[in-house]
Amino acid sequence: MTPPSFWQAALRVFDVSMGQMLWSRRSVFLGLLVGGPVVLALAVRASVILDIGPPGAPRPGGPVLFGLIVWLLYIRFIVPILGVFYGTSIIADEVEDKTLTYLFVRPIPRASVLMGKYLAYLACTSLLILPSLTLVYLLIVPIRDGSVGGAFPTLLADLGMLVVGLISYGAVFAFVGARFKRPLVAGLVFALGWEPGVLIFPGYLKRFSVGYYLQALVPHAMPSESATSILLRVVRDVPSVAMSLWSLALITAVMLWVASRTVARREYVLEQ
Amino acid sequence: MTRRTRRFVVASLLVLGVGVGTGLLAYLSFPTSAFTGPGGPDELRYLPGNAHMIAFVDVHHVMISELRQRLRATMPFTDGGARRFQDETGVNIETDIDRVVFAVAQSLDGSQTGQDAALAVVRGRFDAVRIEASLREKGASVEWYKGRSIFGAPDRDAATDATSRDRGSELAIAFIEPGLIAAGSPSLVRSAIDRQDGGASARGNDALMKRVRELEPANLWAVGRFDALTARANFQKGAVGPLPAMTWFAASGQVDSGIRASVTAEGRDEEAANALRDLVRGFFALAKLRGSSQPALGSLLRAVQLGGTGQTVTLSIDFSPQMLDALTGSLSQLPRVARPRRGL
Repeated sequence: MTPPSFWQAALRVFDVSMGQMLWSRRSVFLGLLVGGPVVLALAVRASVILDIGPPGAPRPGGPVLFGLIVWLLYIRFIVPILGVFYGTSIIADEVEDKTLTYLFVRPIPRASVLMGKYLAYLACTSLLILPSLTLVYLLIVPIRDGSVGGAFPTLLADLGMLVVGLISYGAVFAFVGARFKRPLVAGLVFALGWEPGVLIFPGYLKRFSVGYYLQALVPHAMPSESATSILLRVVRDVPSVAMSLWSLALITAVMLWVASRTVARREYVLEQ
Repeated sequence: MTRRTRRFVVASLLVLGVGVGTGLLAYLSFPTSAFTGPGGPDELRYLPGNAHMIAFVDVHHVMISELRQRLRATMPFTDGGARRFQDETGVNIETDIDRVVFAVAQSLDGSQTGQDAALAVVRGRFDAVRIEASLREKGASVEWYKGRSIFGAPDRDAATDATSRDRGSELAIAFIEPGLIAAGSPSLVRSAIDRQDGGASARGNDALMKRVRELEPANLWAVGRFDALTARANFQKGAVGPLPAMTWFAASGQVDSGIRASVTAEGRDEEAANALRDLVRGFFALAKLRGSSQPALGSLLRAVQLGGTGQTVTLSIDFSPQMLDALTGSLSQLPRVARPRRGL
């Protein structure tokens, strides 16, 4: 019997991993995370309908509010967090559950295990985040005469950008999961420390973050209200869309390649 | 894949499909005029409620229109100014500006009673930091107003006070929300920032909004009081003599592969409307006389129809793509005026 090809093996691993990933305890927490913006959107919609809110507070239109939610919640928080929790678990969960050996003794390339689980991560996170964004769009955009039709191209751009973000962050955290012993801690430090940190400081360091390239794909203007945003605007240096896409593709390719090599060469010691 | 996983995948795709499908349907039925809401574009809420005239241009649709692409191909424009503007501000006029609303209203500065001021609100994608840096480089003065920076003309002297800053000729610019710039008279820019929190806007001006709602779908339009128009154009002193007593005008145009436009004027009474119709007919007769020797002018005149009943006079224009092709062809064949050489 001939062993399956790389992609056949990856698809088989994808099929098995999809359910495991989706119904893990982690998914309950992350389901709440992506449900948060929908609940927030419902609250905002209700407050507009009932006309409640502090007097004199700014009353931006629906498309502007949608832009703020996409920027502040999805891009700056949810996408990196989904990447950390699912991406680092790609290999780390198998090590922790001591089931990695069962996968590695199969007559399939080790790298196909990583690729299959990475594809499962992408499907799983996309199926969580994209419907959430779509619901927020339908709830928020019509506020104060905003047009659902007028904002539709923006929705498509946002959906595409979130997928690109998941692809890039997933590749980075897949490597972190394959390489480091405590990948969740390292991933959280990277996502919540390094990424927002380097964007604030002037200089070239920001080019070593995913967020720097991802923010260039944002079709909405950056909000200008918060102090952090004002600081970000001062040091803002946004690359072109083409350069961002190329850079993100490069980051993804390099990280997946390095992660595959790590998985293929590393001897994982499963603690008894 | 287990049945539970399959159910989740189907449910998730269903929500996504319904959302995207609803957006797509709304987008397809979304009028090309970008009347982005039932009462005109959303940006109207930044225009003053006492505006004499408001106008709208869907810059994005005009820029991507087939007509503009054909004109660019047949009559290449030099875009040095636009390129310089892009280099300085990062704004590509072709792609970064979505729409502009414009208003002419009485200046809010008490010392300039009776003087009109203008305000434009531009929606698009702007690099605020770059534009602000460019304005600062040019020595623009900065005023901090309700959490927003208002950039004005360079300070000429220390004695400049609020009143002199609001001279009609001065221009102020402010980012009033992400992707939205207000430019115009400083007092009107400040009032646009005030209207972020609500307040009387052009949307509450029933006389204006009634006429906006009556417009056909269009990617550019203007509605206003006729006296505001004539005062600016100074028609009374022109060659046409005194105009009939008209009250309102409304103009709209749809630019795609051709141009369809209509201009409606409302007379104070039927007599005034009849007088205006007679005036326009007189112009047509004169133009037709000239058109007999100029085929391009003749075909243009055939595309213009005079109509309207009672107190309204309507001029409809329908320039088909073929007609515009013929016109641009004849324009490109015109002999170029030789420029005098330097020193002669």
